[in-house]
Formats: sequence, C-alpha cells, structure tokens
Amino acid sequence: MTSGRRAGILAGVAVLVVLAFGPWIGGFLNIDTSFLSEVLLTAIAALGVNLLLGYTGLPIFGNAALFGLGAYGAGLAIKDFHAGFAVALLVGVAAAFVGALIIAPFLLRRRNIYFGLLSLAFGQVFYFIAYRYSDVTGGEDGMAFTRPALNLGPIRGTVTETMMYYITYGLFVLAIVSFWLIVRSPFGQTLVAIKQNELRVRYLGLNTDRFILVGILIAALYGGLGGALYGLLLRFAFPLLLDWHQSGDFVLMTMLGGAGTIFGPLVGAIIFVIGKDIISTITPAWEIFLGAFFIACVLGFPKGILGSIGDAIARRRAPAEPNETAP
Amino acid sequence: MSDVLLSATGISKHFGGVQAVDNVSIAVERGSIHAMIGPNGAGKTTFFNTLSGFFLPDSGTVRFEDVDITREANWRRIARGLSRTFQTPSIFPDLSVYQNLLIGTQAKRGVAFRLSLPRGKERDEIEARIEELLGFVGLGAVRRRTVSELSHGMQRLVEIAMSLSTEPKLVLLDEPMAGLAEAETDRVVGVIRDLHDRLGLTVLFVEHNMRVVLGLAQRITVLDRGRLLAEGSPGEIAADDAVRDAYLGKEIIENV
Repeated sequence: MTSGRRAGILAGVAVLVVLAFGPWIGGFLNIDTSFLSEVLLTAIAALGVNLLLGYTGLPIFGNAALFGLGAYGAGLAIKDFHAGFAVALLVGVAAAFVGALIIAPFLLRRRNIYFGLLSLAFGQVFYFIAYRYSDVTGGEDGMAFTRPALNLGPIRGTVTETMMYYITYGLFVLAIVSFWLIVRSPFGQTLVAIKQNELRVRYLGLNTDRFILVGILIAALYGGLGGALYGLLLRFAFPLLLDWHQSGDFVLMTMLGGAGTIFGPLVGAIIFVIGKDIISTITPAWEIFLGAFFIACVLGFPKGILGSIGDAIARRRAPAEPNETAP
Repeated sequence: MSDVLLSATGISKHFGGVQAVDNVSIAVERGSIHAMIGPNGAGKTTFFNTLSGFFLPDSGTVRFEDVDITREANWRRIARGLSRTFQTPSIFPDLSVYQNLLIGTQAKRGVAFRLSLPRGKERDEIEARIEELLGFVGLGAVRRRTVSELSHGMQRLVEIAMSLSTEPKLVLLDEPMAGLAEAETDRVVGVIRDLHDRLGLTVLFVEHNMRVVLGLAQRITVLDRGRLLAEGSPGEIAADDAVRDAYLGKEIIENV
C-alpha cells in the first residue's frame, strides 16, 4: 500500500520533470511549443472536471462555461482595462469563480443525470451570452486581444511562446500538487465518500451540499485558470470555448485518461489534443477515427487508461500480500 | 418524563392512496433496548424514516431530548446524537473498512471540511478512535479490506461501527438481521447487546426474527397496517391476543 503510493508519487514527479524539458523534447518530435502549452492548460481545466466527475461522482457536463469564462475574463481585462499578464490571469479565474457561484445554488438541488443536464443548460446560457452580447464579446467572430508583458517583480518582459510554456508548466505543477493535496485531505476523502454513498455521508452528520458547493468552486478555479491561459496563448476568445462540444471534450479526456486519478486528465489531454491534431492532418474525417479510438479505449480501459493500469497493478500485488490482514 | 430520549407523537405518512403510517406514537426511554415489530408492510421502516429525517411525516411531532426535530435536516439530527443503519447496509463499498470508519470519525471531530491532513495529537486521537470502533465490532483483522469484498454480516458490522463513529446517544437499527446467516445473526446480536451493556447507548430496532426480539428487547412496539397495535414488555406482547392474531402466532411457529 505505502510502497504503491511511493511509486505513484515517484512516477508523478518523473512526469513533472520530463515536462520541464517540454520545448526541448517538442523540438525533437517536431511539436510546436504552443501546442504543448495547450496540452498542459487543457489538463489544468480537466482537473476541475476530474474533481467533480471522477472524485465526487457529479457529471459536470457544462464545464466549458468555466473554461470560456476564464478566456473571456482574461481577454476583457486586457482589451478594456489594459491589464498585465498576471492580472488578466487572475481576472479570468475570478470570472469563472463568479460564474460557478451563480450556477452552483441551482446545481446543488440536483444529482446524477439531472445535475449533468442542468449544468449543460447553464453552460449553453453562457455560450449564448458570449454569442449574442457582441458589443462586449465580439459575438460569433470572437474577441482578439494582445498578450501583455509579464511584470511580476524580478520576472518581467514580453511573454514568448517558450515563456508561455513555462508559465503554463509552473501553473500546471501548482495545479497538480494542489489537486493532490485536496484529494488526500479530509475534504477530498469526504468527496470520494459522497461519490460512493451520499446518503451515508449525510447520516454521518455532514451537510453534503456544502462539500459539493466547495467542490464546484474549486473546479471553477481550475477551469478558469485553464481557460485564461488558453485565451492568453491564443490571444483570442470565442463562443465555441463555452459550447457543449468543448464540455464534452473535457469530460471525454478525463474519462479516457482515468477519472478519479490525479494524472488521468493529463494523459487524456495529451491523447486528445495531440491525437486530434495528428489525425486531422491525415484526413478531414478525423472525428470518425477519434471516435473509433475512444470506443476501443472504453472497451479496453473501462476505468480510463490510468485507472485500468492502477487496477491491474493492484491485482498483481494482491496475492503478494498474504499478511495484509495482520494487525 | 425526563428519561424519554426520543418521542414521536401522532406520526402519519401516506404515499399516494396508501396510508403507510397512521397516527403512531412511541416513547423510547434513555438506556433501553426497544424493538419495533409487525408484519411486512406494517409501516415500520416508514416510521423509522420519519424519525431519522429520511423524509418528513405528513403530521405528528418527533422530539429528541425534548427538542422538536420533526423538520430538521437528517445530517443535523446526527450531530444531536441520533444515528441509524439501513435494511441494506449503507456503506462505502469501494473503500476499505478503515476508510469507512474514517469519514464519520473525522466528521465528529470537526475536521471533515479541512484541506490539510490532521497531524500530531489530532491524528493520533482519530486513529485511536477508529481502532476502538474496529475492536468493538471485532473487525480489526480486516481493516484494510475493501468493504464490498466482505460478507453481508461483516458489512452490517461495518455499518454499525460507522453509525457509532458519530458518537450517538440513540442508535436506530432497521432490520439488522435481514439476510444474515445464523452464525452472523448471533454475532450481530452480541454487538447490539454490547451497544447497550458496554456503551450504555439507547437502541431502537426493527426486526422480524422473534427469537432475536424476545431475547434482546426490554420494550416492544407492535405495528400492523400502519397503526399502533400494542406496546409493552416482551412478556406482555407475547401474551397479547391481538398481537398473536395479527402476527406473532405464525412467526413463533416459523422461528422458534
């Protein structure tokens, strides 16, 4: 048990170390650095989905609204208020947080598929606001803005693609570490218990609505951060970022990588972002192949790639621990 | 009067056209083992559900330690010292026995909402408490096992230990012997007796097995078709003609 946990932590640290050489490895593989940034920021946003879907059992289908609010928040801060890089990032996260504060009280009354559908409906509301309220958002055409210089004490200057990657990487490390701390804390353990049996958690004297509310707000921080980084990467925000297709992508990549595992969203994001790009350069009908790939994964890895691998390791370990039950 | 821990007065509940519970009252004395019996469909579980806040009664009042809790949220009742188990053990199936007990223990200590792990003395207290609970139900040897892998009887014991993790004054047990083998039944009966004898808790339980009821209960309430049929000591209930007619006769033939 503890040796398994130690191996997991080591593997996680190894992944983070490898990612630190991302632009260099990308150079070898002929992958754009901005593309790698997209993988990491997508994984950050998917962590939020993972907290609700993977750990708490709440299907947050309209999650892209939080992602899109992050991008628009950052963009509007730059375009209309000449915010710097860090401030734009914070405004993006705050926008998603406020969005979650608005919808959470409604979502708290629902569970299971009803939670999913209501979150989807709210997501579409935000999508249509971005689409229709064109005086502010640019409507269908989207909203272009600049990527402002960074001005954080000693760290200052224009944000190049490489610098953008390292900012995204740094925030990804922060996101992964904070996520790990959250899910192993009493709060995170209680979320897992809610997924297992919410009624029992209530009958242990806990107001589960309060836990779910905080879970939604934390998910919004990850979603908003990912979205704000995406806006700053593209220097652009557009309504499709909030659309249910985008939400579906986040749900799929979370499940593909392994919902309820810490690195699942990263694995899903790598496959999703890079797979989409590779297949789409080969054939315009790329969605068919991506779809077939997903079906194969779901059949082969019912708990997602990392989840199924984890199960397989646990199965192989089990016979080797005969004195597991000894005190 | 002051020794009544839980009282329910004039409880009624209907589902559609069915009057599941009709004007039932009960008074559970502090420190007693109180049983509720009756044929299938007598309204026992429905009545239990109004006591524990699973749903609200149409009319009537539930009081716990002289406080009206009729409309109080279920999780708040737990904090007052009322806990319950369900007919099908309500547990966290994919978590270990230890983790099943951890959630409620952390909740009771007020640390469930924290984003940091308990440390030092606090952690030691939580671990000691879980060990105590494991020892009480005799599940120390399987603490690392996933609960879904355990037998039904062991799952029942896990659930009882979970309900104890909230440090209740009153434990409501809804058919604790349902689906158990003979040997498991004896073990659970022993644990229920210990709740009373060793921990000094008050127990209210629903049960079909008359051998268990007559062996454990100090007071028995009988329901039939949603109504209160009789209440009294085991001796009085066993001698009650109405109870015999409605229920007891055939059960005794079946079970004793």
